[in-house]
Amino acid sequence: MARYGMALDYKNCINCKACEVACKEENGVLLGADKHRIWVGQNEMKGQWPNLDIANAAFLPSQCQHCDDAPCQMVCPTQATYYDENHVVRVDSDKCILCSYCMNACPYDARYVDDRTMTVDKCTFCSDTRLARGEMTTACQNTCPTKVRTFGDLDDPNSEISELLRTREHFSLKSHLGTKPKLFYLT
Amino acid sequence: MKIGPLNIPIKEDFSLKSILGFEKTPVNMLVAISVVAMLAMLVLGVGNYLMHGHHAYNVTKEHPWGLLIAVYIFFVVSSTGFCIVGSLGDVFGFKDFTMISKRAIFGSIVTILAGFTVIAFEIGHPVRMMIYNVLSPGMTSAIWWMGTLYGVYLTFMIVEFYFLLNNDMKKAKTFGLIGLLVGLAAHSNLGSVFGFLNARTISQGVFYPTYFILTAFITGIFLSFIIMGFRYKLNFDDKTKKLLEGLAKIQGLLISILIFFVTWKMLTDIYGDMPNRAEVARHILGSWTFWAEVILAMLIPLAIILKDFGRSPVLMFWASLSGMVGIFFMRYNLVHDTQLKPLQMMKLKEYQVAPEWVHYFPSATEIMISLGGLGVCILLYYVGTRAFNLDEEEGH
Repeated sequence: MARYGMALDYKNCINCKACEVACKEENGVLLGADKHRIWVGQNEMKGQWPNLDIANAAFLPSQCQHCDDAPCQMVCPTQATYYDENHVVRVDSDKCILCSYCMNACPYDARYVDDRTMTVDKCTFCSDTRLARGEMTTACQNTCPTKVRTFGDLDDPNSEISELLRTREHFSLKSHLGTKPKLFYLT
Repeated sequence: MKIGPLNIPIKEDFSLKSILGFEKTPVNMLVAISVVAMLAMLVLGVGNYLMHGHHAYNVTKEHPWGLLIAVYIFFVVSSTGFCIVGSLGDVFGFKDFTMISKRAIFGSIVTILAGFTVIAFEIGHPVRMMIYNVLSPGMTSAIWWMGTLYGVYLTFMIVEFYFLLNNDMKKAKTFGLIGLLVGLAAHSNLGSVFGFLNARTISQGVFYPTYFILTAFITGIFLSFIIMGFRYKLNFDDKTKKLLEGLAKIQGLLISILIFFVTWKMLTDIYGDMPNRAEVARHILGSWTFWAEVILAMLIPLAIILKDFGRSPVLMFWASLSGMVGIFFMRYNLVHDTQLKPLQMMKLKEYQVAPEWVHYFPSATEIMISLGGLGVCILLYYVGTRAFNLDEEEGH
């Protein structure tokens, strides 16, 4: 059993959105701007030429943070949201009643409604697809041209992600909420 | 009427004819036509929902809860309010309030049924909910506690009403007390559905679980004036006047406390410019729906109560109608304001401006189902007045 997480060298992101496309293709996510498991956020450049604030113009790839203390899991009335054996936050679509409480409670806005099952869906770290086939990378990681993402087992001290987190400074999103995200942004 | 060991005292003349045989005054006809129109809208709205699912609603990924959640809360708050008012007499023994107990407890049953009607079309899978609520309960979920406790509460209310109908005041008191406690627990859990949203700083905290109990009591008193107004056609006898004067005085105190609560909530939200909270509070202060809530549910009723310390039941009837419109806005604001601030503030696609506020306005389907819920509520209540004697029995 692993404890999967992801490190993102987000300053390398060029906003090509190949990760978004690969995720949709690999996991059969429906088309449409509101139907996404992962996304790249963009801060617009501020200021007027020649005093442009280029430091502000950053790209921030994001997705479900697979929190160790996930608010979405706590608020689910039917335990449709659960941790699988690899500590990945998953949704059991047979149990989801679409009360949308998890969508409201997730601090990262990482959930959306899958119109085929009329249940809530989110990133699974490709558990049903690539990991199930025995591959050890996620689709978004595999396709990234600038190697932003590193996926792996946080409990394995010899994994690449563990090495990165030991040697690079990093932060998590909205860590003050105590959700203990398993996505780490390398600085 | 006997059903097994149960004896349900239904009026002897109760029939379809008695239901349709109301006095054809202009007001009665207006109410009757409105109810039929609302039920027709329910059918249309539900039909549209069954064909298009949640696409028939204006809810989005960023604003997943819409009008139907607000209307559900509106009805269940009404139910808890009725339960509190009904308990004053038959549970706590305040003699002046006993005459409204049976009517209020019946009101608590029909309002919660109307609430369940509305929420059944908001929850994506209501049947699955009933199954997995039992098979795989999410004990850390405020929604699970709220829903389950409301189910238990409804059972107790029905049992209490049965004993009230049979004038078994001792058993009615026992079941009424348990029902009241379960109802209050359910209701504060409904507040905690919002209070537990750590990511939504405008709602998070102890405020809503307690405020919900206060506003339930206020709603119950507004509704008491409305049902008694219709019962006596605004010609109140002395006993009813005494009841209503007592309720109006309590209402004056409760609304004052509510104004105190809301003022401090707003001041605390704005003080210190806390990110995500102060700006949302200022946005709320600039919305007309907030002022509709304040003026209709707080200022108008309080002014009328203070005019002569609640001695004008007819004016209070009209103030209570205004109050209930205000209470509707209170529920709508609660749901909408919680979701005002986007949780993801970056631009996600080209040709898009970075999100600032989440916009929402209910769709026609949502409005039709909501009005349909009101139609169900009024219809059930009216049929109840024809089927049961909701007045206090002589000698009790």
